[in-house]
Amino acid sequence: MKRSLFLKIFFSYLVILFCSFFILNIFIKDEIREVMTGKIEAELLTEAELIDLGSARAMSEQMSQIAKISGARVTLVDAKGQVFADSEKDIAKLENHFHRPEIQEARLKGKGRSTRFSQSLGVEMLYVAIPIKDRKQAAGYVRLARPLHDVQKMIDTVYSSIFLTMMIVSVVSLIVALFISYKLARPIRMLEHFTERLRQGEPRGSILLKTSDETKTLADNINYLVEELQSKIRLANEEKSKLMTALTSINEGVLILNTEGKIELVSPSLAHIVADQFGDVGGKTLMEAFRNVELQRLYQRFKHSPETAAGEITLGSPDPVIMNVSFSEVHGYPGEEKDMIVFHDVTRLKKLERIRTDFVANVTHEIRTPLTAVIGYLETLQSGALENTEDARRFIDIILKQARRLNRLVEDLMTISKIELGEIHFRFEDVSLPDVIAGVLPLVEAKAQAKKIRIENGLPEKTPPVSADRDRLSQVFVNVLDNAVKFTPESGRVTIDAEEKDGYVVATIEDTGAGIPREEIQRLGERFYRVDKTRSRELGGTGLGLSIVKHLMLAHGGKMEIESQLGRGTKVSLFFPMRKR
Amino acid sequence: MEEKRHTSLHYDKELQAIKDGLIFLGALTEKAIQQAMTALAQRNSDLARQVIQEDDEIDRLDTELEERCIKILALRQPAAIDLRFITTAIKITGHLERIGDMAVNIAEKVLQLNDEPQLKPYIDLPRMTDRVGAMIRDSLDSFIRGDLALAENVRQTEQVIDDLNEQIFRELLTFMMEDSKSIRRSLLIMQVSKNMERIADHAKGIADMVTYMVTGESVRHQTSSLHE
Repeated sequence: MKRSLFLKIFFSYLVILFCSFFILNIFIKDEIREVMTGKIEAELLTEAELIDLGSARAMSEQMSQIAKISGARVTLVDAKGQVFADSEKDIAKLENHFHRPEIQEARLKGKGRSTRFSQSLGVEMLYVAIPIKDRKQAAGYVRLARPLHDVQKMIDTVYSSIFLTMMIVSVVSLIVALFISYKLARPIRMLEHFTERLRQGEPRGSILLKTSDETKTLADNINYLVEELQSKIRLANEEKSKLMTALTSINEGVLILNTEGKIELVSPSLAHIVADQFGDVGGKTLMEAFRNVELQRLYQRFKHSPETAAGEITLGSPDPVIMNVSFSEVHGYPGEEKDMIVFHDVTRLKKLERIRTDFVANVTHEIRTPLTAVIGYLETLQSGALENTEDARRFIDIILKQARRLNRLVEDLMTISKIELGEIHFRFEDVSLPDVIAGVLPLVEAKAQAKKIRIENGLPEKTPPVSADRDRLSQVFVNVLDNAVKFTPESGRVTIDAEEKDGYVVATIEDTGAGIPREEIQRLGERFYRVDKTRSRELGGTGLGLSIVKHLMLAHGGKMEIESQLGRGTKVSLFFPMRKR
Repeated sequence: MEEKRHTSLHYDKELQAIKDGLIFLGALTEKAIQQAMTALAQRNSDLARQVIQEDDEIDRLDTELEERCIKILALRQPAAIDLRFITTAIKITGHLERIGDMAVNIAEKVLQLNDEPQLKPYIDLPRMTDRVGAMIRDSLDSFIRGDLALAENVRQTEQVIDDLNEQIFRELLTFMMEDSKSIRRSLLIMQVSKNMERIADHAKGIADMVTYMVTGESVRHQTSSLHE
């Protein structure tokens, strides 16, 4: 830019320079020629007059002398044009001069001049002639001729000085052009750099110019625009981050479809949910991205009648996500209406709902079974069995057994609901685990002996005391030991042990029972969950034992872990947080 | 196909609608198969009846899609890739409609099976269901994306389904030889398996059409002769 600016200025200077010299040349050349020729003519005339003063004979004598002094050729011509004397040429060879223009002019006007190319000398000559004033009549003419070398020489001298001047002025204008272009280009160049940086996406800072001309205004305007642009960008970014923050922080997934029905925006929370199964869904249509029949049906219904539509869909097949979706229109510029779909993940909610209904179904089922037995036997007694004492006694035993089971169930349920509602008040104190175990063992020993199961109490005497509610702790151990004895076949073994590990006192109860399939261990703490449903009920379980243990352990700030190998046995670990000393 | 755009935006929309329609139809048939097989595994007759009922929608969609394709052929006179796309789409709807019919066949067999006690727990059939479902999904995916490798993958899986079908057949033979009372149920289960195998054939047919659409070369009868 600077180069071209400089060239522009320099060339315009040169053009002006050459034009002025060309015009000067036109005027000056003719002027010089005219002035010079006039001067020579006047000189020649004077000399001719001088020659004319003498007589004809004297003239011939003076002629050669004058010719030598003035440097001109002198020719004397008689009235008829015959040359009778010449300073340079042999008169015999000269032709009649009567018709020469200067002679003719001299004859008519008293003096004559002519400029022409002399054949005899081969140069441009100036001829001047006057008549010889002898006895009042024209006796002849004096003609002086001088070559015009001098004039040309003069012109050449002037021209060479003009040319020199031109050269000097050119150099000066070059320097001036350089200077001006530098001065002009500097701010422009700065502006150029600045705007280039802007174009490369670095819209910060401003430009400072020390000039006061138009470039200054331009710079000010650019600064203003940059500032404006920056604030606009900042505003847009703020809006965007606000939107993204909102989209990220809400649990609902948001998806926006553009006018062509393609996915334009997926909120991070939704993208996180769908990424595993559907990959990147951006730019695809709803059908392409999710290939979900229910979703597409809802979308079509929404497109058909655009009141806000909503529904429930199940996304993905291996582990499905249940989503509540609702559609709404996003009103933009005309022709740019978009659709927004809000996804609400209700998988957990649905699962909880299922657990609740399962629970109710389980409770009713658990209660109905003993109740049916009780009612059945009571009816039998009523219809006559009461008379048969032996049968009646047996029936009453069964009724009592079932009623006790019902009672146990209700008690367990109450315990669980109390723990869950936080209505149980724990009295925490330092409890020695060996003491608790010693208190609990007699309760399960009878059952163990019946099955010839050996209970090995390997609990070290030095086991540090734990902070717990003594009664609840006993309940935990009763439940776990009862389970262990219940699910261990005859002549098996149950081992009790304890150790300190990672800030916990860990009590373990290990049996040599049937074991639990790996995939079922997860669900063991659920209420009424039984690994072997029929056997557990035969053994008089309520299906709540481990659930109670789990809840009690959580209330103690600990946890329960179960490891098991099918056919080998099960190990229940109870973690109590170590007391801080 | 995705990158290039037609001068007429509306034309693009029409093509996209056909794509979406095909995926929708594919999803419907896949769902029908899943439901029919779930009905089999859970002995759920209501679900089986639902599959039979919902086939009407598949048939309706098939006709609707075909009409739309023909309309495009008539009005837009597509050339080159678009022409192959439309003709392929017409063929694919046919395949999908047939798959829907097979799902109905299975559902009918399930209804009959549910009248009698369960013969045996199903092990290979659920496995087959997953594979076949994936085949339909993949064949349609390969169609949408013009993915030749995926289409080839579908063709490979078809052989696996054939093998599973053979295995089920052999297993049922032993049941039938042991107990003549199990013959009716065994035959019904065999028909279910056979239907699944034919669904896999249709999925392979779609994959073949995709290869034709992308390359312009027909592979239909080369590979099928190899498998027979």
